[in-house]
Amino acid sequence: MSAVLRNVSFRYANGDTGALCDVSLEIRQGECVLLCGSSGCGKTTVTRLLNGLIPHYYEGELDGEITVFGKDIRSAAIEDLAGTVGSVFQNPRSQFFCVDTTAEIAFGCENMGLPENEIRSRMDRTVTEMNIRPLLDRSIFRLSGGEKQKIACAGVAAMLPELIVLDEPTSNLDLDAIEELKETIRRWQTQGKTIVIAEHRLGWLNGLCTRVLFMENGRISSEFAGESFFSLDSETLSGMGLRPVYTKHDYLDSRTGLSRIKPFDQRDVITLENFVYSYGRHTALNIDRLEIPTGSVTAVVGHNGAGKSTFTKCLCGLQKGFRGTVTTGRALRPKDMMALSYMVMQDVNHQLFAETVMEEIMLGADDTDTDKALDILNRLNIYEYKDRHPMSLSGGQKQRVAIASALLAGKKLLVFDEPTSGLDLRSMECTAELLSSLGSNITVLIVTHDMELIDRCCTHILHIEAGKIN
Amino acid sequence: MTGLFTADVENRGLVLDPRTKLFVMITLVVFALGNTGSDIAAVKYATVVLCLLPVILLCTARQYKRAALSGLVYTLMKTVEMFCMPHMTGMILSLIGLCCLIFVRLMPGLIMGAYMLSSTTVSEFIAAMHRMHIPRQITIPMSVMFRFFPTVFEEFSSINTAMKMRDIRIGGKNSGKFIEYRLVPLMVCSVNIGSELSAAALTRGLGTKVRRTNICRIGFHVQDVIVLILSSALYVLWILGLTGVTG
Repeated sequence: MSAVLRNVSFRYANGDTGALCDVSLEIRQGECVLLCGSSGCGKTTVTRLLNGLIPHYYEGELDGEITVFGKDIRSAAIEDLAGTVGSVFQNPRSQFFCVDTTAEIAFGCENMGLPENEIRSRMDRTVTEMNIRPLLDRSIFRLSGGEKQKIACAGVAAMLPELIVLDEPTSNLDLDAIEELKETIRRWQTQGKTIVIAEHRLGWLNGLCTRVLFMENGRISSEFAGESFFSLDSETLSGMGLRPVYTKHDYLDSRTGLSRIKPFDQRDVITLENFVYSYGRHTALNIDRLEIPTGSVTAVVGHNGAGKSTFTKCLCGLQKGFRGTVTTGRALRPKDMMALSYMVMQDVNHQLFAETVMEEIMLGADDTDTDKALDILNRLNIYEYKDRHPMSLSGGQKQRVAIASALLAGKKLLVFDEPTSGLDLRSMECTAELLSSLGSNITVLIVTHDMELIDRCCTHILHIEAGKIN
Repeated sequence: MTGLFTADVENRGLVLDPRTKLFVMITLVVFALGNTGSDIAAVKYATVVLCLLPVILLCTARQYKRAALSGLVYTLMKTVEMFCMPHMTGMILSLIGLCCLIFVRLMPGLIMGAYMLSSTTVSEFIAAMHRMHIPRQITIPMSVMFRFFPTVFEEFSSINTAMKMRDIRIGGKNSGKFIEYRLVPLMVCSVNIGSELSAAALTRGLGTKVRRTNICRIGFHVQDVIVLILSSALYVLWILGLTGVTG
């Protein structure tokens, strides 16, 4: 038996979400267990119990018995679990301790105080197995999300843990990177390691997980064998608040360029010309001319490194040295593009500055626009929060505040960077509904890997590869 | 981002032991900034050579622009100090004197410091501290701090971008709150990242009681020996000068 939870209840000291209520669970050696459920159901809490972050790092009231490989989690020091339980987290940005890849892979083993030869041979084995030799001796800050996640996995694997917990490991990954993560997990399975994954995106886990636990409100409400869970239809899953296992379309298979995927009443277009940008000798973006229908919701898709973020930066006038033009009525130079467009960042915390929601959205506007501001707040369903501090709101509400501020500042082109990464079905649906309801004079571009989001709200697809379209 | 301890491991040219860099740094502080032994001609000229060392080191790290600029400024100001200053008087003397003080005495140390920080990785730094028998209670918090700086810079630049898009500038509306607007999101993001980072480090065994290994190989090589001899030469010349052997 790898881990046993008996009648475990837990409440975080500083919050209500994610609490557990009388959970009992046995995880057998060599199993691959999926924990699923909507946000706040407690699946992350279970992973934190297994790696000892609860009760040693996150504080709260804990009842019940937790043993991991025979050790009582409460009396074992969290550092001593390090060699037994390995953890991979959601955000590659905040799970690296070193700035170069080699040191990062060695970090855990160094902490365990293993002899240098042993560390080198373990690293060598891990690197060969995962086929990541080209990634050694690189700077962490120059890796893509997928490469970062691989290094994180390698760092964990080198410690030779028996149990590996992954907490939403794919929220920042594209489909190719997910495929590679799947390979890594499969390799761990053949090595007999026990694996526990908490995840919203389910498709990639098909054929990987042997047991699925569905959680609701801090309880495990049902349990499935792997095969029977993955044969559930989308309606049943949707009823459980889960994302579908199969996505209908893979838009990365479509031809490059702009294509319409839903009926759309096209009136005007925004014309982009001379969208060319290079980093040194590397041409990141090379689009001669492109017309985006005004009022459309366009998904920008492409593999990692295809030039999507360069494209959106250029479009928002944020890329220094860029010389293209955007024409809506009149031709805009990059400097004026900033007045036309607004980017809602993946981490929306970066763009909320003021003390109240109302003050926040009035920042870029005239003081006389109060009525208009209230109207926009009303339309976005955040009127009741107008006197709250923006940082005290939930992720989805923060997103709405950012949108409201952009609308009031008269922005006509909104660019979203991965607005649904790490969101569960309900939140994703809300975002989709919001994005398609912004009105016919607001053009929306969404950089996303989320095919379900595209199916729900996008009218067009812009597929970029290697900085180019046909 | 070439900042604190974010050495570009992919291309950084000549690798010096962190301790060598530290020694050069101290020597620069003693002789360039402290002006020690400047009445001894040999020490004076050797100090000039040592002051140009950081420029050479920057060149090996392929930071040519920075190297050329600092080399040029130093040479210019040193020439002014040596040949023009004796002929100046009054207001001009104090003005030029101040410039020389900053660029001739302070700058070499600053450049060396910048080079030291931008060419050393965190693991090299920890290894060097360990060899110098600095206790873990000091090195671990310091390494966490250095890991954190580049992240904070990244966050800060994202926030700047966001402010640009919202057209919030000094001189605009609410300019009194300009700093607050910048600090609040920075603090929120830093706290989030910091706590995630600590959690990740804990699950990977940072802080275990066992003695930590460090696979980072540091040590003195030919280049270190050359640099160390050069720096030590100043002390030797100084002592010789004091005892009256040279003058």
